[in-house]
Amino acid sequence: MRVSCLNQEATRYQMIKKILPVLFTFLQLTGTAQDKVTLNGYVKDSSNGEELIGVTVYLPELKAGTVTNSYGFYSITLPKGTYDVQFSYVGYSFQTIKVELSQDVVKNVELVTEATVIQEVVIMDERIDENVVSLQMSKNTLDLNRVRKLPALFGEVDIIKNIQMLPGVITAGEGTSSFYVRGGSADQNLILIDEAPIYDPSHLFGLFSVFNADVIKDSELYKGGIPARFGGRLSSILEVRTKDGNNKRFGVSGGIGSMASRVMVEGPIQKDKSSFIVSARRSYVDLFMKAAGQENLVHFYDINAKINWKHNNNNRFFVAFYSGRDVFNFSDEFGFAWGNNTATFRWNHLFSERLFSNTSVIASSFDYKLELKDPVQGFKWTSNLQELSLKYDLAYFINTKNQLSFGYHLTGRRFSPGKIAPNTEGSIFTNVELQHMYALDHALYISNEQRINDKIMLDYGVRLSVFQNVGTSDVYRYEDPRDNIQIERTDTIHYDAWENIKTYVNVEPRLAARYMISEGQSVKLSYNRMVQNTHLIAAGTVPVPFNTWNPSGYYLKPQVADQVAVGYFRNFKDNVYELSAEVYYKDVKNVTDFADNAEIFFNQDLSTEFRQGNSKSYGIELMIIKTEGRLTGSVGYTLSKATRQVDGVNLGREFVANYDRRNVVNIQAAYDLNDKWTFGANFTYSTGRPTTLPTGKYEYQNYNPDVITERNGYRLPAFHRLDVSATLNPRKNSSRKWKGQWVFSIYNVYNRQNPFTIYTRTTKNDDGDIIGDGKTKEARMVYLFPILPSVTYNFKF
Amino acid sequence: MKNIFPIVLIAVGLSACEKTVYLDLAQNDSKIIIEGQVTNHTGYQYVKISRSVGFYETGESPRVHDAIVIVSDDSGNEFEFVHNPRGHADSSGFYLPLNAFEGTIGRTYKLSATVDGQLYEAEDKMFSVTTIDSLAYRINDDEAEDPKDGNKFYEVLIYAIEPQGTTDYYLFKFYRNDSLKVYNDTDIYYADDEVLGEQIDGVPSPIYYEPGDTARVEAYSLSRNGFVFFNDLQTLLTSDGGLFSQPPSNSRTNLSNGALGYFQASAMDTKEIVIKE
Repeated sequence: MRVSCLNQEATRYQMIKKILPVLFTFLQLTGTAQDKVTLNGYVKDSSNGEELIGVTVYLPELKAGTVTNSYGFYSITLPKGTYDVQFSYVGYSFQTIKVELSQDVVKNVELVTEATVIQEVVIMDERIDENVVSLQMSKNTLDLNRVRKLPALFGEVDIIKNIQMLPGVITAGEGTSSFYVRGGSADQNLILIDEAPIYDPSHLFGLFSVFNADVIKDSELYKGGIPARFGGRLSSILEVRTKDGNNKRFGVSGGIGSMASRVMVEGPIQKDKSSFIVSARRSYVDLFMKAAGQENLVHFYDINAKINWKHNNNNRFFVAFYSGRDVFNFSDEFGFAWGNNTATFRWNHLFSERLFSNTSVIASSFDYKLELKDPVQGFKWTSNLQELSLKYDLAYFINTKNQLSFGYHLTGRRFSPGKIAPNTEGSIFTNVELQHMYALDHALYISNEQRINDKIMLDYGVRLSVFQNVGTSDVYRYEDPRDNIQIERTDTIHYDAWENIKTYVNVEPRLAARYMISEGQSVKLSYNRMVQNTHLIAAGTVPVPFNTWNPSGYYLKPQVADQVAVGYFRNFKDNVYELSAEVYYKDVKNVTDFADNAEIFFNQDLSTEFRQGNSKSYGIELMIIKTEGRLTGSVGYTLSKATRQVDGVNLGREFVANYDRRNVVNIQAAYDLNDKWTFGANFTYSTGRPTTLPTGKYEYQNYNPDVITERNGYRLPAFHRLDVSATLNPRKNSSRKWKGQWVFSIYNVYNRQNPFTIYTRTTKNDDGDIIGDGKTKEARMVYLFPILPSVTYNFKF
Repeated sequence: MKNIFPIVLIAVGLSACEKTVYLDLAQNDSKIIIEGQVTNHTGYQYVKISRSVGFYETGESPRVHDAIVIVSDDSGNEFEFVHNPRGHADSSGFYLPLNAFEGTIGRTYKLSATVDGQLYEAEDKMFSVTTIDSLAYRINDDEAEDPKDGNKFYEVLIYAIEPQGTTDYYLFKFYRNDSLKVYNDTDIYYADDEVLGEQIDGVPSPIYYEPGDTARVEAYSLSRNGFVFFNDLQTLLTSDGGLFSQPPSNSRTNLSNGALGYFQASAMDTKEIVIKE
């Protein structure tokens, strides 16, 4: 008996021995988990409390790091221990902090701007080579401090003009703020201000953009490798975030320029806890013209306003507004105007030190109107687009190797493409309104940024887009939906409010990978699929504010782009020089285009003009940037090609796209002579835009029309221009509160007559009178800006 | 809204500068150009056939005088057209009916023209046109301040009723002393009725007159095809080179076999007024 008992004891002991290792392993796991702690916090600018976006947080001992998110927040989970944590950010002094991690630690850091330090070449030890190390490729962050040293048209620093100097980005020309990215048309770029979309970024037809540089905190352009949290456009995302407002002290700054002036007021509401910022900008050429008795008046204005408050370390709230408008009035009788208005409410919430969330409610509206005051022919034409979004984004910092992002976005849009109404009793016009269109846009995404090992980092994810075109709407059926001459409606199908007309479901995979070849050298690869369900109804090269937007629906399919990009990145001489070389290929299905001679304005049967086809573009982008020293700047070169093939356009033959520019060179340079003077220069060269020219002419009644054979068969002459500027800086050590800066600039220094367009007409003399028998024709080239000097005074106190 | 370009240019606030440039253009095969008209008034029927030429050619385009031209209607009638029957020097390329006739509203007319062994055909239906009730005239103050043409600053006012129950398309021609006039050399005066109400009370003419002038207004009806043609033609004539609007392309036509131009069947109404001080 005893033996068996002993045996039983032994068995039990044996069992325990078997279980124990499992227990230990389990304990070890949780023990390990318990040995890991999270370091998190916010990184801010020491002078004004602005949270900094994209700051690199790096631990050299672990060769691991992270980057602050759009709200300045970072979180990194590490084994317990004591570490050096390095904080680095372009334009700010590098900081290393020793942190003792025995439990979760919140470390909020304040960085000091580097712009206050100007001396001989500044060498930084162990500088982070972010452009090589970071996973994100095909993204350009604008360094606003560097940009301010460069020449600006009319002395007004413009984000969009600087974006147009990046490789892979082509300006649509003078007279517009539109740009093309990697062989994509101007409507394929999503422009966001504090997460709200802007539908037309131009003021005064591109002389200025809607972005007042004084109030911009951060500006990032994604050309490829687009993260899963973005969607809705095929070619790029321009994400602009405004400043939150100095929460330490009250300040006023502004500038008085030749064409427009701006002023900005910011300050704390409750020191270190909440702040506000208000900024306004207006052009005033019209006021002078009014005084001079001129009848034609044109002006624009922008207002940006924001309030933010930090309830506690886990909850922050932001409310931001933007309103801008362009107004043109001709002699009291004819005028037009357009504008964007946006409002964003955001709530940052930290569920834990590892789970960050942002909830946003966003409203945006774009509208335009045209009015003719005439007793007999008076009318008013209006159009608008309104949207309301709810976005819920989460970031889960799992550990040093994994960071999960996921979220849900829901947007409702109402398109009001046009209404014409008489504006006088005796007007010959009657009320006509194009139907409203409604859409519900859902997106669900998830992605993980994973550090596989020292050399390889991956970001993989997927975005699911569900787009619904809904009623109230009457959808016409046609005998032949592509016949735009004899339009025969066979039926009208009525849809009630919110009733589904057509739903499109698309899966958008996103992938980015980085391989570190060695210190300071990496190779990156990305693939993304983007889907666009909001289509610009424009058939020209350059969009105008009068173009309307349509949702995907019964007749219009979503446009789908697949882009692959590969790049090589290398830094030289301690990260003073950054070199990047990227190759991309983009293929678009269902690219939206229009039949030859399409009537796109005020057409009740607009769907008969839609022609969707294919677009292909590929290119190589090279750029070298010098970031330090007295002389800084960049040289960029892009070689690319973009073509389209659409049935019903150009007889179905492939043609060179409007936005194709074979060679583009951009050079920017800034030189700090001494404390007082900084000089800047910009040079841009681009192959001419493709254009359609006649191959003959003929007589019809008393007219002499051209014979057209091929679309975009010719090129305009090349576009090139040099701008220079000189900035007189305020004295550094002055104890005066008021700081003033003078900027002198010359746009188009050698007065190049850059072609704006070429058109044909009957031969006329300079007064516009016909010469000869009225049968000969000539070609006329239009060019916009000659040499333009300007002076601007910027102040701050 | 057909042409945004001039508005945009003014809007930019700066005078856009221009200069004449010479283009090195590829030469293309010549196209056959056919211009034809059948109306409900005697003496207004004709067909003109010519060829397209290189962009920089001078003078008149070459006319075709050996084509076979027949116009028929859907009631079985056939009208033979002969080339320049009265032998006028400036009517080369024009084909007039051998036997005078006038078209009938509601009928569809068909053109068959044979040139160099190639057959070109087109069809158009004649729709009715509204009556011009009356004309009046007055001084246009803006034009009087800065007249384009000497002492001409009187404009003619048109009074008509626009039928709201039908979809109508119109083409207008303005004459000063029997001479067809346009204000700008590229102007075509045409309209659809989508945004028009019933009372057309005093729409001013684009042409200016002085006392002693006889002003005549002709209103033609257009079929949908005709309206599309003139709309395309106006767009082509005033194209901005594809900058803000679509790149230029050939006007849609009802002619077959690669010919350019249009064969038009229209009803026409006309009124006249003499301008007095």
